[in-house]
Amino acid sequence: MDTTFREVSADPRTASVPLSHLSLEIGHLYMDDFAAGPARLREQFARVKPWADAARAACTAPAGRRPRISTCFLIDDYFTRFSSPAEVVPQLIAEAEACGLTIDYLARESACAETDGCHPARLVESRLVESPPPGTNGSRPPTTATGWLSNGERSPGLDHLLAEAMGGDTGWRPPRETEARRHSVFLDVELWDEQHGRRTWSCPYLAAVWQLLRLGLLRDRGQEVLHPADRPETFPHSWDALPPLVRLNPHADPFAAYRTFSVLASRFLPIEHAVKIVLEQWAPEEPVLAQLAERAGQEGVPLPDDVIARVGYVFHGQP
Amino acid sequence: MRPDKPGEGPAVLLGEVRTGLLQHSVELPLSATDRLLGLRHGERVRSSQRPNVQAHSPDLLTGVDCALATGSHRSVRGVGTVTARAVLTEGRVLQASVRARLAAAEGAQRLPWSHYLARPGTVEVIGRAEAPALADGHLTAGPGATLDLGAIAERMLTGIQGGGGLDRRAPFRSRRIRLRWTAVRADLAGEAPGGRLTVEDDTLRTLRLTLDRIDPAEVTAFCEDLALHDWLLSTLGRLIERSGLGSDPGPGPVLKLRPAVNHLMHLWMPGARVARPLAPLWDGLETRPGFSRQWAAAVQRVRDHLALQAVGLHAQPVRKD
Repeated sequence: MDTTFREVSADPRTASVPLSHLSLEIGHLYMDDFAAGPARLREQFARVKPWADAARAACTAPAGRRPRISTCFLIDDYFTRFSSPAEVVPQLIAEAEACGLTIDYLARESACAETDGCHPARLVESRLVESPPPGTNGSRPPTTATGWLSNGERSPGLDHLLAEAMGGDTGWRPPRETEARRHSVFLDVELWDEQHGRRTWSCPYLAAVWQLLRLGLLRDRGQEVLHPADRPETFPHSWDALPPLVRLNPHADPFAAYRTFSVLASRFLPIEHAVKIVLEQWAPEEPVLAQLAERAGQEGVPLPDDVIARVGYVFHGQP
Repeated sequence: MRPDKPGEGPAVLLGEVRTGLLQHSVELPLSATDRLLGLRHGERVRSSQRPNVQAHSPDLLTGVDCALATGSHRSVRGVGTVTARAVLTEGRVLQASVRARLAAAEGAQRLPWSHYLARPGTVEVIGRAEAPALADGHLTAGPGATLDLGAIAERMLTGIQGGGGLDRRAPFRSRRIRLRWTAVRADLAGEAPGGRLTVEDDTLRTLRLTLDRIDPAEVTAFCEDLALHDWLLSTLGRLIERSGLGSDPGPGPVLKLRPAVNHLMHLWMPGARVARPLAPLWDGLETRPGFSRQWAAAVQRVRDHLALQAVGLHAQPVRKD
């Protein structure tokens, strides 16, 4: 005879979320784009369309199965507030449809910072594990610069230079990318700043949070972070009244996916380079990682271990 | 080292546990441990109340890229992350427990960092070294440039003890004790399964385990349990020694032993959280040196003394008329 004993508080469960094969991002909307009028929107969607089709064609599902692909669109309501959902959203939907695109999910950028008492940006921050420069053996705390994250070792600061100069040493040392192949491409990313005690997350940092939300990798105390709301009958007159993530298309495949693909204008390249630096130093939760690997395995879908390898892009030029 | 085979478990596990008294005047209630051990936003503190009250912080990762000691002059390079967690038992004894599993790297170069973050708690070994040599290197390494799990544990303890919520008025003085440990798979070590515990000095013990199969979570829990009981035994011993029991006939020792009775004596529960496959290791230590035997003798000594003092204090002198 065998007895088993378990305490839930000692062995809590981790929620799983529905998953598509691909989360396809068909644009970001900033105030400037909207202010330029509907023609600009249509032009952007027309530019995205062939690449979105290519991404669909490239998304492979197991033989005989329909690939599950959901599209998403992000509106900036965090850095600048403009117009209202009642005015913007119907126009967006119409212009996308005119170009043959369907927006399945609409998200507000501020949801990456805070949503319904949950702070996705803080969840991501608490799991950043900095890449150690060679020689790091644990004896000293990591040399973090608060609010910044880089892909290597920074140049010594001014204090250090002065001290060295006093000792007769010649000053400047270049920064170094840890994974450089002989020559460095060093990048230092500002994650946030604070004014009057209020923290403002940076655009690339929120873009990294956005990627992790789309990859279904974030949990808050084991629970799902961003659950899509159904499309309201009419769109509200304030952004705060719009749910952070809205399922515009009731027949859409799940929001989160094994992989993400974003079709963006090439001016977003520096932002996404910064996103890569954040994602490369973000440690996924082991149970979530295992959950996704198991489900991909059951479906026969290849899924790379590295989070960064699940993220793909096309950057297109502008007129 | 050769790459791990699926289902075999890791070839080598390295760890260090540092154990000390929580710097707080009273036992910390379970409801307050969420704040103390909630070291990461969005993750739960795990707690259980059977068979004793214990809470675990989330696992924190630290990135390393450094030399690994091999017990000889030659060292190899290790790149990856080590796992650290804090454990609080009965709101009284705080431990920081750090571990790393070693795995052979596939190439000779360091890979993109995301590769290592997808394998949390694993340090990949670049270069040729045998599993037993890496284990011995960890146990004998002095301060230097090689992997320093102890420093990570020490920072964690200091951070928690110095954080908010504690009044920093411990009921008695005690020392932190370190247990540095390794586990090597028996087939690679060429030895029969077993353990070797060494008391190196007042505050350092080493444990070398050889096991048929290494389950990192189970082995770590065993080492934490052993470290806890070794600390209890050492701390009670020191309290008795400092109390003057055996030399001071007055009431002094009773007062000095009071914290032991209030805060330590109910904590003894060896093996309570040890997985079944590792239970024989505890049995071995109970046979020699006999942890529980020594504990029982010390506890009995304290109780006998308290009883005698009680009789002596309350009884009226007998008059012989």
